Amino acid sequence: MDWSVIINNLPFLMKGLWMSVKLATLVVIFAFPLACLIAVGRISTRRWVRYPSAIFVNAMRSNPLILIVFWFFFLVPLITGKPVGDFASVMIGFVVFFSAYFTEIIRSGIQSVGRNQIQAGLSTGLTYFQTMRMIILPQALRNMMPALITECVIVFQGTTIAYVVGLREFLNSTFLITEVTLRPAELYTFAAFVYFVVCFAGSSLARQLEKRQVRT
Amino acid sequence: MTDPLVDIRDLSLWYEKFKALDNISTSFSSGRCVVICGPSGSGKSSLLRCINRLEEFQEGDVLFEGQSLRECPNIAALRSNIGMVFQHFELYPHMSILDNITLAPRHAKGKSKADAEALAHTLLERVDIADQAKKYPAELSGGQQQRAAIARALALEPKLMLFDEPTSALDPEMIVEVLRVMRDLAKDGMTMLVVTHEMVFAREVSDEIIFMDDGKIVERKETDDFFSNPHSKRAQDFLDRILMKI
Repeated sequence: MDWSVIINNLPFLMKGLWMSVKLATLVVIFAFPLACLIAVGRISTRRWVRYPSAIFVNAMRSNPLILIVFWFFFLVPLITGKPVGDFASVMIGFVVFFSAYFTEIIRSGIQSVGRNQIQAGLSTGLTYFQTMRMIILPQALRNMMPALITECVIVFQGTTIAYVVGLREFLNSTFLITEVTLRPAELYTFAAFVYFVVCFAGSSLARQLEKRQVRT
Repeated sequence: MTDPLVDIRDLSLWYEKFKALDNISTSFSSGRCVVICGPSGSGKSSLLRCINRLEEFQEGDVLFEGQSLRECPNIAALRSNIGMVFQHFELYPHMSILDNITLAPRHAKGKSKADAEALAHTLLERVDIADQAKKYPAELSGGQQQRAAIARALALEPKLMLFDEPTSALDPEMIVEVLRVMRDLAKDGMTMLVVTHEMVFAREVSDEIIFMDDGKIVERKETDDFFSNPHSKRAQDFLDRILMKI
């Protein structure tokens, strides 16, 4: 084993890791508010809102991420009429795909709060939207925090899929270095270690929050 | 003031196939306290919830100050004139008592923070929990929570207060403190509709009693008259049972 290969290529690898972190963070930042809207649509009493939301969520959840990424990679340029770049198309694919999963987490979070709280808010003359924003979502957010963090970990792991369109995220960067250095054992061990540290930290945080919730 | 304050016309409500309210017509005048009683499943709570359109009724109409709820363009604005108190309080657990009370005045009625808080403190004084303003609902007893919920409803400066079994979830010693607040409200001339099984409260405080069964109003009488000689057999049976006459 020759670990110097990692030290020597660390700047390139870290650039890849930064790309992964950036991608995951941006995906969560865009997917979450989108998912909040779709989740509210999902529990709406109006059919013309509820049905499209349900169709969207089920369509996304019944497809592999890699297909969604490919699909947007080829579709977005068709719509915009010009290439939008690897990063943008992967971003859009990820945001759309993961917003479906976030939607289901948020929906169950909202439903854990209960209809009576909605009625209480409405009865005081707040609009449905105000009731959701000020009364239901804050409570739902607290209830669903562990599940949300777990999903963020999955998003981070999911960023590896971006390699299919040639984006240089962390795993792809590792792969490129192995091609040059022919040191796959050391490099993939290192990559596994980095993924473990990041993801384990995330899931530990989720577990802590869950414990605290049981107590209150 | 428009009278009657609430006018219910041929109101029917279904839950799926089940007819919860069956062609109800009645009205309520300002300044009166009316108790609605009857066996469970008789439609008492449903009737109450139609008056601020928390239930979307399918037939008939409810007029509040002459405004049709069916054709109301801004139901939220209309609801902000009607206070409602729930069986399980439904305080917002993530907010302090003060924030619970000021939320609607600020965001539904457009009051400033300072005005809303001044009002909240007055109301907390009135329901006798002035020292609990900074606490969270979970830190209060059931009776205190329900009084806070009454204060939250009163913060709308409502023209009508709806009480949906306000003491059913409370321990006996806490029921009294909530009923006392409600009695004082009635004395001050608040228009109140109260769904309750507390017949002592009904007898002492209310002006009128409505007895419901099977989604219909079976009887409506002045309180004294209702207790001395209820006409219908069903009301008679109900009274016997609830007053534990054997």
